[in-house]
Amino acid sequence: MKQLFPIKHVMGYLFSLVLSVVALAVIFFDLSFSAAMVILLVCAILQASLQLFLFMHVSEAADTKKTLYLNIAYAVFVGLVTIFGTLFTMIWGYQ
Amino acid sequence: MNLDKFLVKGEPMIYAAMVSIVVASLAILIGLTYFKKWGYMWREWLTTVDHKKIGVMYIIAALLMLFRGGVDALLMRAQLAMPENGLLDAQHYNEIFTTHGVIMILFMAMPFIIGLMNIVIPLQIGARDVAFPRLNAVSFWLFMAGAMLFNISFVVGGSPDAGWTAYFPLASLEYSPTVGNNYYSIALQIAGIGTLLTGVNFIVTILKMRAPGMKLMRMPMFTWSVLITCVIILFAFPVLTVALALMMFDRMFGGQFFTMANGGMDMLWANLFWVWGHPEVYIVILPAFGIYSEIISTFSKKNLYGYKSMVVSMVAISLLSFLVWAHHFYTMGHGAMVNGFFSITTMAIAIPTGVKIFNWLFTLRKGRISFTTPMLYSLAFIPIFTIGGVTGVMLAMASADYQYHNTMFLVAHFHYVLIPGTVFAVIAGFHYWFPKMFGFRLNEKLGKLAFWFIAICFNITFFPLFFLGLNGMTRRMYTYSEGSGFGPLNMLATIGSVGLAIGFVILVYNVYWSFRYAPRDTTGDPWDARTLEWSTHSPVPEYNFAITPNVKGMDAFWAAKKENQPLYEGKIEPIHMPNNSGQPFILGVIFFFLGFFLVFSMWVPAIVTGVGVVIMLAWRSFERDHGRHISVEEIIETERKLGGDTV
Amino acid sequence: MKINSNVPLEYSTEENSNKILGFWLFLGAEIALFSTLFATYFTLWNRTGNGPTGHELFELNGVLMETFLLLTSSFTCGLAIHAMRHGFKKATMVFFAITLVLGLGFLGVEITEFVTYVHDGATVSTSAFLSSLFVLLGTHGLHVSMGILWGAAIMIQIKRQGFTAETTNKSFIFSLYWHFLDVVWIFIFSFVYLKGMM
Repeated sequence: MKQLFPIKHVMGYLFSLVLSVVALAVIFFDLSFSAAMVILLVCAILQASLQLFLFMHVSEAADTKKTLYLNIAYAVFVGLVTIFGTLFTMIWGYQ
Repeated sequence: MNLDKFLVKGEPMIYAAMVSIVVASLAILIGLTYFKKWGYMWREWLTTVDHKKIGVMYIIAALLMLFRGGVDALLMRAQLAMPENGLLDAQHYNEIFTTHGVIMILFMAMPFIIGLMNIVIPLQIGARDVAFPRLNAVSFWLFMAGAMLFNISFVVGGSPDAGWTAYFPLASLEYSPTVGNNYYSIALQIAGIGTLLTGVNFIVTILKMRAPGMKLMRMPMFTWSVLITCVIILFAFPVLTVALALMMFDRMFGGQFFTMANGGMDMLWANLFWVWGHPEVYIVILPAFGIYSEIISTFSKKNLYGYKSMVVSMVAISLLSFLVWAHHFYTMGHGAMVNGFFSITTMAIAIPTGVKIFNWLFTLRKGRISFTTPMLYSLAFIPIFTIGGVTGVMLAMASADYQYHNTMFLVAHFHYVLIPGTVFAVIAGFHYWFPKMFGFRLNEKLGKLAFWFIAICFNITFFPLFFLGLNGMTRRMYTYSEGSGFGPLNMLATIGSVGLAIGFVILVYNVYWSFRYAPRDTTGDPWDARTLEWSTHSPVPEYNFAITPNVKGMDAFWAAKKENQPLYEGKIEPIHMPNNSGQPFILGVIFFFLGFFLVFSMWVPAIVTGVGVVIMLAWRSFERDHGRHISVEEIIETERKLGGDTV
Repeated sequence: MKINSNVPLEYSTEENSNKILGFWLFLGAEIALFSTLFATYFTLWNRTGNGPTGHELFELNGVLMETFLLLTSSFTCGLAIHAMRHGFKKATMVFFAITLVLGLGFLGVEITEFVTYVHDGATVSTSAFLSSLFVLLGTHGLHVSMGILWGAAIMIQIKRQGFTAETTNKSFIFSLYWHFLDVVWIFIFSFVYLKGMM
């Protein structure tokens, strides 16, 4: 049984549930917009890293590890540019 | 069933096109049957997973599309030759400039480049094939399905007519009620998935399949350019996928993304389109830079000047290419902050591009230059492309752009970038690698004749457009009055376009002539070149290299020739190769019909073909195909026939 | 075929490790794809026209249910790969089965939610906000559905062939896909639902 449920996985799962509950704070407490966004962002990034490093084993293959990091970094760069660039051109910077 | 929905009526030119399509298709079918080539077609081409054959098919498709797009261009020039010309009406003109743009960018430039990539990259890195040969065939057949679907729009249902950028609200169901823009969204979607898969395939190929000793910083420049291009493909094409899907929702399922009511935002389409569209420009230009680097280095008999700065500038271009898109719609009405930001990033991209221009010039310096056909294209590229680049910086200035926006100045600018940039490059690459594909060179005399026609007439066609634009002639206007004074320069441009067309006809004739009469190349290295693809036989055997080359430095083949470094060490071993498969072709056919049914909103057949796609995926998943081995005897036999000295 | 026995079976051949790298690259493209959908949603989220706003529409219970189901399925999927690496075929099959059932549960809740929305007059053509909401959630849901079919196909292959270089490779790649869908869901949960209910 112990072999089937490695402690790291179980802890990771519990931690992800905790993070989801923490994120709920933004609807149950009267927080400012920026405080709420920070909470959501921190929780979401932690959750994503949890999946990435614990469950997806992103760092396990020595020969491609660097490539995988670069790939994710580039994807996140393009993703952020698309999201914030679109908001910048279509909403914030719009006359 | 009501056929009126499908057939375009009342246009003599379209009737002529229908007849010629039917005649050409019949001729192909009858020819294949008469010469008993069906089995050959199926075994050797339709089911092939060989990167070289897939590359050749891409190039054939690209040449056909060049013809189609070229006819569109000639029709436009004919219409604009004189004031108040009645050759084409407004609607027909709209359709033609739309299909011209889409076909030239997505179905001519892209497949031509991907075709050259397919043929050259595995050879240049000393690999036996791409990382995923089957996926490569899937990419090709998806591209082909998309291209064919887009092309039939012309006679079945009507072409898209809202420009190649398909801006909303014009492209919405309300203002473009025909199925034309359904074709646009679905055909591009299918071809785009194929391109995305190509991107994944070639990144893995280049990162993981290089010959021993070929470190990243020893790769030929073309390989570098393709690696970076594929990275841009990987991250830019998903944006197009989404944009086209949203367009499909708006047009076919009542979506409100780009509408004028219910909160929709029409300019969001332009935004998403160009988030993909500007990186797309670099997707078609970076491999061209790689091709020029190879050619200029080979025919100057020197190694490439500033190798590292070439790589760094391409990486910089790839990142910057994602930061400039809003310069395509400065006049949309966003504030000074947005326009200022995008002006600066756009001008910044001229810096790495300038670095590359200087590197080519320094490579030429003190070189022993031989003026072959591919070299002529490369030499012509540098000054002409620089004109395109400089006018680009003019357009990059947001305040000045209010003057140039959507005028013929812009049309001249992007043709000055794309034709010497991409078209000259693929033609140069075509001449350069032709002996590798088929085992003989194209005729130099005809090649140079075509070059002079193309290079000179290109300038006659497009240089006048700069002045027409500055004088106020907007793009996409189907006619103009005599009083505008646009007549003479337009006539000049039309004359130039005829010369350009003659140049391309000579090019095609050259291929025909050379197939019949050109002397065969027995060396495998007719240009005295530098990189690994020239170290194997021409045409290349199925397995590429009998023994995997051992790379000890940059320009490994050159070093092997000049310093007598052995490239092939070790003995021949059985080679593992993938089996051919009909699945990619069948998948392409199913996608074609799926697309067709979606275009016409025929839901039941669309669902049936959609299930067909899922079945094909399952078939592939459950298949157990471990490929085959080519025996040592067979390799030795092939090598002996090809006159190899590696055995 | 060269087999490297120092690494898990799913990496053991060159082809296998190429496939894993290729799939990671594809996930990079998926990040760009979902980012574009998020960009569209964030641009349009308060452009509700005459339709309901997110605040009026979203219900916490269903969303929590979905989140719990998907997080748990991601956990069991991780356990399946762990069991696979220890060679426990039966445990792997059980964990994969649980993963897929939880995935079906997620889809069930999501479909119910969609039906409720449509019942309340909030359809894809009501407003730009709803169009972008339905397409964002729908794309994720479609990925989950494809994942369930794919996972089922792999389970059949493990059952028939046992753990081979091929089946383990497919299972591992499937697990990457499934965890990735969980990551996407986290962002939907946080920045669509929670932000919308604030």
